[in-house]
Amino acid sequence: MELKSTKLFFLILIAAGAILIFLMRSFMNEYILAIVNFIGISIILAVSLNLTNGFTGLFSLGHPGFMAVGGYIAAILIFPAARKGMLLPELPGWLASQQWPLLPALILGGLCAALIAIIIGFPVLRLRGHYLAVATLGFLIIIQVLITNMEKYTRGPLGLNGLPSLTNLWWVFLWVVITIYVSWKIKFSSLGRSMFAIRENEMAAECLGIAPAKTRLTAFALGAFFAGVAGGLWAHLVTAITPTSFSILMSFNLVVMVVIGGTGSITGAACAAILLTLVVEVLRPLEEFLGAYGISEIIVSIGLLFILIFRPRGLFGSSEPSFLVIRKKIGA
Amino acid sequence: MKKTLFSVFVPMLLLVFAPLFVFGAGQKEAEKAPEPIKLGALYNLTGGMSSIDAPALNGAKLKAKLINQAGGLLDGRMVEIIGIDTKTDQKASATGAKKALSMGVVAGLGYGDTTFVMAAAPLFQEKGIPFVTSGATHPELPKWVGNAMFMTPFGDDDQSFAIADYTYNKLKARKVVVWTDNSMDFTKALSKFFKQRFQELGGELILEDFFMMGDKDFSAQISRLKNTSPKPDAVFISAIPNEAGLTVKQIREAGLELPIVSGDGFDTELVTTVPGPKLANNVYFSTHTYREDTRPEVLEFIREYEKEYGRPPENAFAPLGFDAVGLICDAIKRAGTTDKDALRKALASTMGYPAVTGEISYTRPSGVPLKAVAIIGVQNGKYELLETWKP
Repeated sequence: MELKSTKLFFLILIAAGAILIFLMRSFMNEYILAIVNFIGISIILAVSLNLTNGFTGLFSLGHPGFMAVGGYIAAILIFPAARKGMLLPELPGWLASQQWPLLPALILGGLCAALIAIIIGFPVLRLRGHYLAVATLGFLIIIQVLITNMEKYTRGPLGLNGLPSLTNLWWVFLWVVITIYVSWKIKFSSLGRSMFAIRENEMAAECLGIAPAKTRLTAFALGAFFAGVAGGLWAHLVTAITPTSFSILMSFNLVVMVVIGGTGSITGAACAAILLTLVVEVLRPLEEFLGAYGISEIIVSIGLLFILIFRPRGLFGSSEPSFLVIRKKIGA
Repeated sequence: MKKTLFSVFVPMLLLVFAPLFVFGAGQKEAEKAPEPIKLGALYNLTGGMSSIDAPALNGAKLKAKLINQAGGLLDGRMVEIIGIDTKTDQKASATGAKKALSMGVVAGLGYGDTTFVMAAAPLFQEKGIPFVTSGATHPELPKWVGNAMFMTPFGDDDQSFAIADYTYNKLKARKVVVWTDNSMDFTKALSKFFKQRFQELGGELILEDFFMMGDKDFSAQISRLKNTSPKPDAVFISAIPNEAGLTVKQIREAGLELPIVSGDGFDTELVTTVPGPKLANNVYFSTHTYREDTRPEVLEFIREYEKEYGRPPENAFAPLGFDAVGLICDAIKRAGTTDKDALRKALASTMGYPAVTGEISYTRPSGVPLKAVAIIGVQNGKYELLETWKP
């Protein structure tokens, strides 16, 4: 019975979200809609990073690298074939004639990101802690350099622009729901428990018969898939994509979201994504009023310091709010 | 535990949401007040681009102030510059543009770099509202964005052609070496156009070398430059200010005396301060007609800028921001309205507008202004205006 009521609760949440989006799309101006879109993308990113960083304890800074892969692949596939000749004259013929709709391009972008995650995951995931962080940072830089120099496909540092603006709130909402649903299912399954076990004590987990290498790789690839999708959504929201769009700064912002929300908490990651994206926009009028540009970053940093001092586990720790969870002891 | 968590979290969320709505309401009230003419100025005031963009916003605000002091536009309506910081982040550029548009701006302006223009300008184009970039120089910008896109500066092709002509005709160079910063689109385009023009003129490119933004040591490139045969007559360095000073210093320290030529990336004090006056010799670059210029517009701009901000203009982007607002206000005056279609037409028909950075006319089909380019020479650490090149 309780299982059913949780499901019902989620369905109600989804329906409420859909109604909210319908209302926002009819009454809000484009500026607010754009912010809400970016909030949605941040949620996808934070929740998917939480799969790797939070659940499994793999401290990855490479998330924006996967976004770049997904973003560029989606952008090249979706771009109208008629205008490709002008934008990318050297593109091979078979690629130049493609013109995909948004959804399959996003999925393929995500899959390519996941594939790359698996390939680099084999060597990189042998590293631990800050060694892994540095290795994934290296991956991000390699991706940026590759994109900068593969001019035939990416137009180099200039990036691709004039992309059709296909991303809207419905697409973002769909992917937010999928990301949260998948994370949720994983967290409360044996796979999720294996992940948590590896995070807490790898040797103990291995003794219990969990295969750490496989589980870590799964977490890494899943996170990369959603990052790739988010990259595609991002590119078609901003309508431009350049090698510097997905920067090291972005990795840190995402890690901050996971830390503030609580490493391992889906609700926490989502809430932190909302908070951090909003706070910058909310403080904007203050910045403009005072003429003190940059003050929002200072306020956010101070807030972060306070959270780290007074709630080092993050807002939610590793758990989910009680009214969302079936009464079974899970996680921390 | 759970209770404290929510008692912390819910007020926090409220705190974040509340100003959004208050702000939304405040916006509506402001619209009822006697209408100012709003211009949305999108600049990266924080982050990596701030040294270029912050002076540009200062220039833009100064122009608005001067116009308002002279009685405003269209029977006393004031010009209001809404400065939006986009944090050297394309996402912030896109939201910033949408914010400006939702606040009812009649035109947008901003940016010293193509990347950010391309994140913001298409959103203005969608609404048919003109966007004037103050400093982005890619010659194909108007073609990419559309008929609502206007440029204040010349295109990169013009500045490269200008310095190529000067190198070939005045410096009598026939063989050149080209160094390119391979990390930026601006520097790559500059080199491309320089090579194209120089070879058309009959010159010869004997060696190409590359470096990346942030490089500090150029000894490898310098030793190749020294050892090429035949000996080059000049070296073209496509760089932005940070590398401009360093390359000049290291080339001269290596004992090479050949002329160093470049574009507006060299338009910086660093070219003389980094190598010092003894080594800052025989350097030539093309740039906006502003430095060392004595036209009345230039002198007045410098005087007003010093009065307002207590320091001389930091670089050429300050007068370019000033001119971007000037162009828009001139078009509003001629159109007699702030209607977007009329304003766009008025901007497109700008003829001989006396801007600080040179006369601007939009007579080319490409949408890039027809604008003079200054050739500046540096000898013993002193800048000198050598000639004005016309396309």
